[in-house]
Amino acid sequence: MLPTISRGLHALGIISIMMFLLAPVILVFPISFSADAHVAWPPSAWSTRWYVALLHNEEMVTAFRNSLVIAGCVTALTLVVAMPAAVALTRWKFWGRDALTSLFTAPLLLPSIVLGLAILVIFAGYGLVGSWPGVIIGHLVITLPYALRVLITGLSTMPAFVEDAAGTLGADPWQVFRRITLPLMTPALVASAALAFIVSFDEVVISLFIAGTQLKLLPVSLYHYVESWTDPLVAAVSALLVLGTLGIVLIVERAIGFGKAVSK
Amino acid sequence: MTVSTADEGTRSSGGRLLITLLLPIVLLNVIAFIAPVANLVAMSFREATATGSMKEGVDLATWSSLVADTYYWSMLWRTVWIGALITLITLVLSYPLALFVSRAERAKALLIVLCISPLLISAVVRTYGWMVILGDQGFLQALLRSFNVTPPRLINSQLGVVIGMTEILMPYMILSLLSGFGKLDTTLEQAAETLGAGPLTVFRRIVLPLSMPGVLLGCLLCFVLAVSSFITPKMLGGGRVALLATEIYDQAIVTLNWPVAACLSVLILVVFGTALLFYGQLSKIVE
Amino acid sequence: MYLEVESLEKRYGHFAPSVSDLSFSLGQGELLGLLGPSGCGKTTTLRMISGLVQATSGKIKVGGQDVTGLPTYRRNMGVMFQSYALFPHMTIAENVAFGLQMRKARHADIAKRVESALAMVHLSGVAERKPRELSGGQQQRVALARALVIEPDILLLDEPLSNLDAKLRDNMRGEIRDIQQRLRMTTVFVTHDQTEAMAICDRIIVMNRGKLEQIGTPHDIYENPATPMVAEFVGRINRLEGQWRNDGAVAVGDSLIRAKDDGGTGRVLIMIRPHRIDLSASDAKSAVSPEENAINGTIRHVTYVGDTFQYEVATTGGLLHVEKATSSATDPFQPGDTVTLRWKTRDTLTFSTEVAG
Repeated sequence: MLPTISRGLHALGIISIMMFLLAPVILVFPISFSADAHVAWPPSAWSTRWYVALLHNEEMVTAFRNSLVIAGCVTALTLVVAMPAAVALTRWKFWGRDALTSLFTAPLLLPSIVLGLAILVIFAGYGLVGSWPGVIIGHLVITLPYALRVLITGLSTMPAFVEDAAGTLGADPWQVFRRITLPLMTPALVASAALAFIVSFDEVVISLFIAGTQLKLLPVSLYHYVESWTDPLVAAVSALLVLGTLGIVLIVERAIGFGKAVSK
Repeated sequence: MTVSTADEGTRSSGGRLLITLLLPIVLLNVIAFIAPVANLVAMSFREATATGSMKEGVDLATWSSLVADTYYWSMLWRTVWIGALITLITLVLSYPLALFVSRAERAKALLIVLCISPLLISAVVRTYGWMVILGDQGFLQALLRSFNVTPPRLINSQLGVVIGMTEILMPYMILSLLSGFGKLDTTLEQAAETLGAGPLTVFRRIVLPLSMPGVLLGCLLCFVLAVSSFITPKMLGGGRVALLATEIYDQAIVTLNWPVAACLSVLILVVFGTALLFYGQLSKIVE
Repeated sequence: MYLEVESLEKRYGHFAPSVSDLSFSLGQGELLGLLGPSGCGKTTTLRMISGLVQATSGKIKVGGQDVTGLPTYRRNMGVMFQSYALFPHMTIAENVAFGLQMRKARHADIAKRVESALAMVHLSGVAERKPRELSGGQQQRVALARALVIEPDILLLDEPLSNLDAKLRDNMRGEIRDIQQRLRMTTVFVTHDQTEAMAICDRIIVMNRGKLEQIGTPHDIYENPATPMVAEFVGRINRLEGQWRNDGAVAVGDSLIRAKDDGGTGRVLIMIRPHRIDLSASDAKSAVSPEENAINGTIRHVTYVGDTFQYEVATTGGLLHVEKATSSATDPFQPGDTVTLRWKTRDTLTFSTEVAG
């Protein structure tokens, strides 16, 4: 009797904690269908008016498009910069290699508020604040460490000696990379691309500093909107963003298995 | 740089290739990480004029006015204790959940994804979710009122910030704890049971000590993120909860006093360093 | 000589060299074993021959041509890795075809040669499968086919059998030897298992701490080990310490022992293989011939391991291990029995432990 009760309490506790963790993500969905002019629970009536309003909100639409383009550019550049670096850091042995690896992942440890301010101060002097290159470079600083980590793990957990074996069969270093290394890297590449895209698209602190007021980015626009308005428009955007993220996770899961990509 | 390539066949050209491969990332880190941070530290030794520009020369004027101002001391103190409180609550909530997930026999992968996928959702969206829940017309207020309870103000208060931050940081804590539990072999617990230990003793003598490295790592991560986060305190605190990070933003963007913002940034880094030192010492004791 | 290795050396940093002063050569079609404990430098030697590790100094020649400076992909050597190193993203056929594609062989030619290589290792049916769908033994055959299909100048095998279970290992061993003989393939075979090396190698190099201890036929290595290390590595052996006497015998404790070598000075290590010693009840009187040693002892301990009894016998010279085949006809000795141990003087190996003079 007693063990059943304690097990029941235990299960109840776990479920409550889980609900606490997921509550904010889930609750934006019902609120986004509210017909009220202000966020209130429970909504007095249901409607899709805030989704319609969103489509007609020029700032949000522009910001969304800008964020997509920026995240796309950042993802491509992240792979172009991180892939060679990951190869260099795993396939060469040289003095200072470990120090360099730590340096390249250090931006992750720095509070983004400090990083954002530091970049703002420097970029302001070169007119890069509010510019596309400025924002892209700022985002690269934080997407690169993630991508580099995933790629380094991918490269160093490759089955032993397959690259050596290709060499003994007559493949030169470039052929080894193209025929062996790159195909075996696909899961890591997909994972780091998805990660870079999501990190760049969601980044708000650094964007707040560098994007200024000229270049509209979605998280920044959302933040400013919430500061001055209390209507459920943001709930509609949030619901769409949650669904979008879910979509990316599912695609990655289909391609390589999300659990694998994360656990690496 | 002394270089030896993996196949070592082409030593000199290997060196050139290596430099080519590393050049982009090195350049980027110099331009957008090392130089800005160094510059920021240097800026804390400058002084702003009333118009927002900076005086010539390097001195400790900004630092000394900061140190003399009790406003900043109380803010530093508030930042640290709120950070510690959030870390503690996060740990208490995450530990049973992480233990449950790591022991789950069915749907373990799904549970892990559920626990850490909030990380992939923008902090703005998740904080907005909390505004919906904690707001004066929000979900929780409505729920409590239906039980005839008059709750305290949940939004625009420290309580709201603590609740929101706890949820935001839980995935980090769960991840750290899971990596710690990974090393926990269930046969160890079975061994302890065969030696006569009850469930509570097994937890206290076996599970808890072995999971300590994960606990410490999670606490370090959460504390550091709590101290430096800015979006959630700003949105849920409604300008009434002044913390180091929110003050940096206000000084940099609103007041345009960059030297003060730089000083406060260095201060945050000092808090970070101290936390890291504590972590190092505690890790040694745990091992 | 087809493969010549001259004063090969490999150093990593300032540590003691992994391989030093290694020279040997082998003829066309010969199978050479590189035998030694783990860390002795045998795998490093193999990787230097294949070009995967650059030699610090020394020369490697194939068919008279110096290949020391050539990168791996220009050396035309077939290598079989301990972990097989099959390409996980390619089918079996693609794995085997890879080396031929690198050599820009014609399409139709590749298909034909892949087919016959797979047939040679009895794996014709699995060409379209992926490596992970095959058993360990099958993967190993694929690795062999992949290494051979390029018609390498030299075949290099790095502990190819160590990941297989015991029974499969014996079969594969024979098969590798058969194929090697049929193709007259010059082969270097790295192993830490002395039985494996003895069974299939024409000659064996025993390595220890990066140095060559002895090179010779399996028979040589076993019967005339050059150093105590070799003697101990290739099989169980007793060791006793003694002193040379002027008459050419060795004083061990209270006993006198005659050895294969008759004479020397100073301290000496005596080694005798346990199964070369004969045991008899000590009351059985028989003459001691000059080619024989005989000493008395007491059985201390008996271990039954199925095909042999392993005895520990306390003698006046020290503790000796003796192995005797079991038989249903005779009863084993019991602890406490007094026995006479006899063995041929030519089975008595000696190693001076100090420089004479």
